[in-house]
Amino acid sequence: MTITIINALLAVAGGVLGAIALFWLLNKLAELLPSKAQETVKPFVYLLPAFAAIGLYLIYPFVQTLVYSFANRDSTAWVGLDNYTELLTSPSFRSTLLNTFLWIIVVPVFAIIFGLLVATLADRLRPGSEKTAKTFIFLPLAISAVGSVAIWRLIYEAKPAASDQTGLLNAIWTSFGGDPVAWLQTTDLRLNSFMLMVILIWTQAGFAMVLLSAAIKGVPVDTMEAARIDGAGENKIFFRIVLPQIRATMITVFITVLIGVLKTFDIVYVATNGNFDTNIIAVSFYQELFVNRNAGTAAAIVIMLMIVILPVMLYQIRQFRAEEATR
Amino acid sequence: MRTSSKLIAIAMAAALTAVTSGCLSQPGSSGGGGGDDDGTVEIMYGFTDSSSDQFKAEINKYAEANDITIKFSPTPDFNTLIATRVSGRNAPDIAIFPQPGIMAGFKDDLVPLTDVVETDALDAMVPGIVEAGKVGGEQYALPMSLNVKSIVFYPQAPFEAAGYTAPQTLDEMVEMTNTIAGTGTAPWCFGIESGAATGWPATDWIENLLLVQSGPEVYNQWVTHEIPFNSEPVAQAAATMDELLLAEGHTYGSRQAIASNNFATAANPMFEDPPGCFMYRQGNFVARDGGFPNAVLENIDDVVGVFPVPGETAEEKPVLGGGDLASMFTESSDATKIMNYMASSDFGQDWAQANGFISPRTDFDTANYPNETTTQMANIAYDSTTFVFDGSDQMPGEVGSGSFWRDMTAWISGQQDQQEALDQIEASWPASS
Amino acid sequence: MSQATTAVPVPGQATEADTKATGTRRGKGLRGRKAPSAEDAGAPAPLWVKIAVALICLAWFIPVFGLFITSLRPRDAAQSSGWWTLFTSPSTLTQLTAENYAQIIEQTNLPTAFINSLAISIPATIIPVLIAAFAAYAFTFMRFPFRNALLVLVVALLVVPNQVALAPILNIYGSLGLNGTFAAAWLAHIGFAMSLAIYLIRNYMSTLPLEIIESAKIDGASHFQTFWKLIIPMSVPALAAFAIFQFLWVWNDLLVALVFVGPGTNQPLTVALVSLLGQEGQGTQLLTAGAFFTMVLPIVVFLLLQRYFVRGLTAGSVKG
Repeated sequence: MTITIINALLAVAGGVLGAIALFWLLNKLAELLPSKAQETVKPFVYLLPAFAAIGLYLIYPFVQTLVYSFANRDSTAWVGLDNYTELLTSPSFRSTLLNTFLWIIVVPVFAIIFGLLVATLADRLRPGSEKTAKTFIFLPLAISAVGSVAIWRLIYEAKPAASDQTGLLNAIWTSFGGDPVAWLQTTDLRLNSFMLMVILIWTQAGFAMVLLSAAIKGVPVDTMEAARIDGAGENKIFFRIVLPQIRATMITVFITVLIGVLKTFDIVYVATNGNFDTNIIAVSFYQELFVNRNAGTAAAIVIMLMIVILPVMLYQIRQFRAEEATR
Repeated sequence: MRTSSKLIAIAMAAALTAVTSGCLSQPGSSGGGGGDDDGTVEIMYGFTDSSSDQFKAEINKYAEANDITIKFSPTPDFNTLIATRVSGRNAPDIAIFPQPGIMAGFKDDLVPLTDVVETDALDAMVPGIVEAGKVGGEQYALPMSLNVKSIVFYPQAPFEAAGYTAPQTLDEMVEMTNTIAGTGTAPWCFGIESGAATGWPATDWIENLLLVQSGPEVYNQWVTHEIPFNSEPVAQAAATMDELLLAEGHTYGSRQAIASNNFATAANPMFEDPPGCFMYRQGNFVARDGGFPNAVLENIDDVVGVFPVPGETAEEKPVLGGGDLASMFTESSDATKIMNYMASSDFGQDWAQANGFISPRTDFDTANYPNETTTQMANIAYDSTTFVFDGSDQMPGEVGSGSFWRDMTAWISGQQDQQEALDQIEASWPASS
Repeated sequence: MSQATTAVPVPGQATEADTKATGTRRGKGLRGRKAPSAEDAGAPAPLWVKIAVALICLAWFIPVFGLFITSLRPRDAAQSSGWWTLFTSPSTLTQLTAENYAQIIEQTNLPTAFINSLAISIPATIIPVLIAAFAAYAFTFMRFPFRNALLVLVVALLVVPNQVALAPILNIYGSLGLNGTFAAAWLAHIGFAMSLAIYLIRNYMSTLPLEIIESAKIDGASHFQTFWKLIIPMSVPALAAFAIFQFLWVWNDLLVALVFVGPGTNQPLTVALVSLLGQEGQGTQLLTAGAFFTMVLPIVVFLLLQRYFVRGLTAGSVKG
């Protein structure tokens, strides 16, 4: 144990000091140049480590993956579009696509609804209570997906009707006279997928709440006062005055959570491993690559994930340009 | 600004494409790590928790005496992580595969064991499990441990008090099932929930019944897909399973509850008073920590009885089982020593006493088993007329740990009928395998 | 997965509310907002609001509470009845035991994994902050060709899923012998976090007054000095917000850890915790205690630094 700790300490110190030394060295090297050249070179010296990381971990792998998606399972021969056509004609992959689509719509929408609900209601409490309430909602953000699944197992567990239920949801359900439901295995109406989404919504609502709460507090008082003088009710003020003004933040939150959902892997991986029609693209990719060891199909899956994200990426760039233009 | 960004993007993509395209990797390029004799042997395996600790102790006992340092890498995600390790050219020296199907996929990276492991050791093992370590006639893995899956557990006192006796044939078992059901108590406990692996206990039932009814040849043809997954013998096995377990009142709880009932705790109603059910077919490992309730495990010989899943006749004793198979990625004298140690009858004595191990060697001293129940279970394997390895473990991953689990679950929970389920599994069999 | 949120607030979209907000500071509560001076002095919230908030908080907290209670129950009890029965039949309170935690400490490798998680998370948090801060500085305060194009590239890459990198990086690591080491995880986390880090930190830096840089330049300070002495201290809110985000992400990450570190001596907590979910059922009784064990540090970090986190987050998107 002591050795582990010492090793860990050395690793941490080495890693961090190494990074600082790298910049110091790069800067020193640049300062050896004549001052005219320095001005040209320095920005790139500062950018170099960052772009080296981006190039190595995102751009190069992306191109590599694109190439492999047109090759066979061990990347030794070209197969054209076969990987794509096979995937798109497979009913199980189409089910995976449908699930992914549901995830990226349902999770952001409900995260926003709950976030907005809490932000609006808590805004009316005293500051101390507001902070406490928000901490409760925000807390799950700190919990890992593996931990979350362990937590929600205690909610979703099902035992035969004759036994005591150990899952909270079934305990409530059976006390109203229902038969125990296997929440994570019931594929009707994709109930199990929705049950898994609940876990992610539970962790994401706090994030939505923070941003939305800040936006609500930014709504100017005088517009609301004016409406109130005109005799508008609180509901009307919320839907006619507040909501339109925080629309932009809501879109931000929607996209942010959506991007996160696209990357979601561990909840499904740990809870069902994609069985019972709960599979999503990220898990199906992992299975193709490491269980079925089919590099071609796996690559094609990621490329399809990229295609799904493309509109979001273009939207981000457009937004960014608009923002820069006004800066 | 617009054009410049486009330009740079195109230029970058072009440059990277030039670098990466056209150079697809060569087949079989991945391989084991350094094959040097550095005195350290890494063993990667798929069992965790107390089994892992007992395994470590058992290996270290030998390794310390022989001055070998062992690096242990246990993971329940063995099947996927071994693939990441091999493709990352960071394969462990020795890998202990829970599934021969996965092992076979790495045969190009593995060291053939013919000249590594003494043949006497393999000859002393239960024959069927040695067979599971072969790929194309060549031995690539040696059985390190054994699981016995053709076991029916029953609550001793109430079972005997009710006048039931262990059935000698499959027909007798069916008959007894109906008799118990007639008394209003469920004859069977049954649960197939196992988190992400839900469904596997159902595959064991199908395999066991197929083996009993159609024999090992048909069984092996089915496993290797020489006969279709949905062929007649399998349909017959499924029909028998339906008759035994899925008929109204035959399983504790409703049919819908089977899929959500955890396999490790499914037998618990058997130990209530009066018992909620009388029989539970499962592997020997439920009689260890983490399986039956602690109160039952403490006096297992007094509380639990076992009998083998019977054959068609009283003389036939076919047994379905599994086990962990040790393979070598990197040949070194130290790794060879460890492999031979794992094949010896000395291996596993302490582990067996700690109630975590059944030896694949029929000459293993059964006095090492911690209780009579475990000895009986080991003897079921040792006395078998045929021993076959768990079929789903040998099938390709898409089926053996995918559609087979999934569609069995769908059938049992009533979302598909039997034929639909079998047809779908057949359809999921990968074309290339 | 909490790291999911690391994707990023798009700037500008939320500014519309802020610009209008200037001038009038808001009081608390929709109802009681009368005048700027009346901040926090509004009418108390109606009872139904209090009840509604309490109910939502309860719903959010019960799952965690259930895990905690279950982790204190012996295995046979946890399997035969729900954790809430503890409150319906208080006689069972005596059953509560720290046995599961004792087993976690003694029998599993979770304590070592805890150290490993720290050894992975700390450098994987500090190094990207440093690298990104330099890049953000260059983007904000330096003039050079392709500046905007490179910045757009960073924004575009925000949405690229990490999955693309798994197989190619595994191959590169393989030839370098990096797989299974801490460095393998650091580098991967640095790479995956970089575009977000640059983006967030640059957004913040671009709100800093340019005159300060100019006067530093006149005083003869080099870029390197200006960066360390002026910009870093002034950017603390953004650096801290990103660092907390990144720490939670890395600490809770399963995918990168599984693929690049894997099980064995260097495994972090998430990998060790998943290993308690074995197929043959051993260890399930330890899962609840193990899960709680892995959560303690991120929750403490989070509660202590929540203030910075919220401030940094909202500074990025709602520049208030």
